[in-house]
Amino acid sequence: MKAFGEIWRSNIFQKWLMALTGLLLVGFLLGHLSGNLLVFLGKEDINSYAHGLHTMGHGMVIWIVRLGLLSMFVLHVVAAITLSRRNRAARPTSYAKVTPRRSTIASRSMLYSGLLLLTYVLYHLAHFTWGVVHAENYVGQPGWQYTLADGTVVADVYRMVVASFQIPLVAVLYVLAMVMVGLHLNHAIASAFQTMGVTNKRIVPAIRSIGPLLSFIIAAGFSAVPLAILAGVVK
Amino acid sequence: MNLRLHIWRQSGPDAQGMLKTYDVQNVSEHMSFLEMLDVLNEDLLTKGEVPVAFDHDCREGICGTCGMVINGRPHGPLTRTTACQLHMRTFKDGDEIYIEPWRARAFPVMRDLIVDRGSFDRIIQKGGFVSVNTGNAQDGNAIPISKKDADRAMDAAACIGCGACVAACPNSSAMLFTSAKIGHLGSLPQGQTERSTRAMNMVLQMDAEGFGACTNHYECEAACPKGISAEFIAQMNKDFVASAFGGRD
Amino acid sequence: MALNSNIPDGPIQQRWDKHRAELKLVNPANKRKYSVIVVGTGLAGASAAATMAELGYNVSAFTYHDSARRAHSIAAQGGINAAKNYQNDGDSVWRLFYDTVKGGDFRARESNVYRLAQVSTSIIDQCVAQGVPFAREYGGYLSNRSFGGAQVSRTFYARGQTGQQLLIGAYQALQRQVGLGKVKLHNKQEMMDLIVVDGRARGIVTRDMVTGKVQSHMADAVVLATGGYGNVFYLSTNAMACNVTATYRAHKRGAFFANPCYTQIHPTCIPQSGDYQSKLTLMSESLRNDGRIWVPKQKGDTRSPDQIPEAERDYYLERKYPSFGNLSPRDIASRAAKEVCDEGRGVGPGGLGVYLDFSDAIRRLGEKTIADRYGNLFEMYERITGENPYKVPMRIYPAVHYTMGGLWVDYNLMSNVPGLFVLGEANFSDHGANRLGASALMQGLADGYFVIPYTIGGYFANGGLQAVGNDSQEARTAVQEAEQKIAALLALNGKRSPTSFHRELGKIMWDKCGMARNEQGLKEALTRIPELREEFWQNVKIPGSGAELNQSLELGLRVADFLEFAELMCYDALQRNESCGGHFREEYQTEDGEAQRNDDDYCYAAAWEYNGVGATPTLHKEELSFENVKLATRSYK
Repeated sequence: MKAFGEIWRSNIFQKWLMALTGLLLVGFLLGHLSGNLLVFLGKEDINSYAHGLHTMGHGMVIWIVRLGLLSMFVLHVVAAITLSRRNRAARPTSYAKVTPRRSTIASRSMLYSGLLLLTYVLYHLAHFTWGVVHAENYVGQPGWQYTLADGTVVADVYRMVVASFQIPLVAVLYVLAMVMVGLHLNHAIASAFQTMGVTNKRIVPAIRSIGPLLSFIIAAGFSAVPLAILAGVVK
Repeated sequence: MNLRLHIWRQSGPDAQGMLKTYDVQNVSEHMSFLEMLDVLNEDLLTKGEVPVAFDHDCREGICGTCGMVINGRPHGPLTRTTACQLHMRTFKDGDEIYIEPWRARAFPVMRDLIVDRGSFDRIIQKGGFVSVNTGNAQDGNAIPISKKDADRAMDAAACIGCGACVAACPNSSAMLFTSAKIGHLGSLPQGQTERSTRAMNMVLQMDAEGFGACTNHYECEAACPKGISAEFIAQMNKDFVASAFGGRD
Repeated sequence: MALNSNIPDGPIQQRWDKHRAELKLVNPANKRKYSVIVVGTGLAGASAAATMAELGYNVSAFTYHDSARRAHSIAAQGGINAAKNYQNDGDSVWRLFYDTVKGGDFRARESNVYRLAQVSTSIIDQCVAQGVPFAREYGGYLSNRSFGGAQVSRTFYARGQTGQQLLIGAYQALQRQVGLGKVKLHNKQEMMDLIVVDGRARGIVTRDMVTGKVQSHMADAVVLATGGYGNVFYLSTNAMACNVTATYRAHKRGAFFANPCYTQIHPTCIPQSGDYQSKLTLMSESLRNDGRIWVPKQKGDTRSPDQIPEAERDYYLERKYPSFGNLSPRDIASRAAKEVCDEGRGVGPGGLGVYLDFSDAIRRLGEKTIADRYGNLFEMYERITGENPYKVPMRIYPAVHYTMGGLWVDYNLMSNVPGLFVLGEANFSDHGANRLGASALMQGLADGYFVIPYTIGGYFANGGLQAVGNDSQEARTAVQEAEQKIAALLALNGKRSPTSFHRELGKIMWDKCGMARNEQGLKEALTRIPELREEFWQNVKIPGSGAELNQSLELGLRVADFLEFAELMCYDALQRNESCGGHFREEYQTEDGEAQRNDDDYCYAAAWEYNGVGATPTLHKEELSFENVKLATRSYK
């Protein structure tokens, strides 16, 4: 019997880990997106949602989720870097001429879109979670509170979001990042199912068309918030 | 027609290689691509130069010996066609053609366009078989096999082991080759006994040979002269992970 | 020297069982003390090497390919015969035996053929167990088709790739033994010579085709499974690398070469398109079921086929053989095509082709039906010629595709040199003067899986083998001779390429010793071949060195052997004053142009002994007796 270490290090297992963590991250994005879209319903909805997230299970749940996300992210990124290095080593001399047949810009740029997203995520956390960039707009500012219908005073997330995306540069950065997300997921979603070993003749074609569609919905959905704010639709 | 060829020349495994340019004149459109190279070689030889070494044998598209990347595509521009079955009518007068060997760490160049594909044999040695000694067999009709399964096994077994999948893959991955064998034997009742160990051992050998991982570009499927489906890769992934967690290896 | 074919006595049905019961055995613990060299990893070689390793022998296998999976067995399309009688249509071991003896035009050894038919059924079982994906019916049972020369459906197939699938089955069995350490596989090694010590075959000399290293390998027995010599004709359906070197070297070391003149010509190949042509491609004979063969009545008619009115076309097979018509047997259809082309009525480039026209069939059945039946063949034809056979008649011409002759072997598949066994197309044993379709695969696997594993044990158990090493005088001399030959070839630095000599030799052979031969032509060939050989040894140019991967050198060495072997073929064709199977002597035909056998004088296998380069070889005869199948004349009128 093979030692588990050897199996863990194998290309397919690493790929499988990437696919699994990737799909879980897509699941997270869908949750995140549905939260974000509450902006369109108004201050009350998004602020009570944000407050709920932070206080659920005496504030424990959010930390469990964050920990889970972090480990998925680390696994995903480490596997991606490991595999990319191996893939490069597998072809020490490149061709003078390459004429691709089936691969796409999305599939060929996974590493780059992934690395850009990694920087984006750090920026995004620094912005909305840690409040270290654009700190003047962070919810920690004195007076940035909101009183919910039930009288609870909570952080005014709505104001933070609106104030941030009223800065054109920030809004454009976020939209560009979402284009990157769309590009990454365009290949990633269907690819993950292939890696996980889905061969069913009815499901595979469905996945191959749903993947790009879903990636578009996610990218467009996330972009809608900064674009709407920038356009002044949401104030 | 007249053509300008850029051919990879490398005198030995450890030598430095480079693209060299050759002009060939009066190429007939009825020639096969390899016959065009034969003519070039005859010409080089009589001029006292060393002919271009390239692998070929049956010239019928079945032995899997030939293989070269022609204008950035393994076996050339046509689909489901090996280099030996490619004919010059596909090209036109004045074309420039780049001819390079398969590129992969696991396929070291031996000379010019010839690479060593021994890594494929070593992958098969790890489990690409049914362990049945001569004489063990029961009657051929003792186990009925549905036409669907037999056809699926044949779809995978059609692999000629040429290595175009590796050459086409941006990661030089051997997943299509390996999965074709796992898929062939895994589709048949005879292959079930060793299914778990086969997937485990062949995959680990594939890694040990230095092939890259699959990133699902499907370039392999598009380049395969026998049109083998990347669906077999998904099957192999499943078999491997099942083996990893099933602990039956 | 008298030839002893070691045929067991008793009724033919019991000979193989009796022989197996009488063969001495090597006990399992002792088998690992014996070593065997197998040269060639096609169907016969791979199956033999794998099976002997399973038994416990130490096997070293050699191939000149980069992998054992590439041998030309892979190109067989049609199928493999076996007397399973799954179709309940009256097949039996006896009928397969009978068909094969008759198909071979009564020039095969009855006992060998009977054994072949007997073990044919086990081959299918073994291959199924290995996972060979034979075609199945919807119920899950094995499917059969019928094939030329038989009235029953006994051919098993895997799409159009039966040879490939059987070879991969054998290759996988071989790789399994390599993985287990029981077979040492040497890729990219070409056999240069046979080493004979004290009258027994004890080793081979090989050249490493990557490093150029020439060295000896010693063993207790040598098995040659190195295929046929069809490439002596330069153009054939054989793969480019197929050559006679291994068997011819063994011949030069004392092994008799039997029936070299028996060559099979396949009528439906794609014609040559120009001088640069490197090989010919075969298309399934099934095309003749719906295609009509014709040429213009007028000589040198250059009109396109659709411009030639019906009245000016000669459907010569239908005219000459009204009852069989376009379905006349391979040799007859081939010769008829050559005849009309010789008359100057051939079509296409060089006038070497005849039309195979589907327009009537398309009118009658519709394009769709024809596409269902022959779609992939039409595609292949179009890929190679650039012409659409749905619109323009196909052009076909006969081509060499199998050689029935080979090294002489006895019932144990051992040559007259003790310890030298020969399997598959490389031996002469089972097909007589003509091979039936779907029988080559059967013979290769029968020899490798089910005959040699028994008979080699009998040889070892008889004892008398001394230890011989690489330092023996014989081994060192053989290595030196091979090195000298390579050096001599490289030193010539003449003006002509090896290919140009090969092409010229092929033309002589095709014209004088091809589909139809006559005394005058053969004698002419026997003067021209030595001249060409002499020029070769003065004027061939091989660039590069011996110590590297050098494809020109590989070819040069092979052509050098073809240039000697071609002479042997002509001697054989010349002495056989009759026409039989794949050997047609123009002087010996009936009034209707049919082959005329002479059973009184030529009912023997001609085994030739080597006497030196250019020296007339000595003929030894193995008389053939037909006790079970009555000698009869074939008729296809």
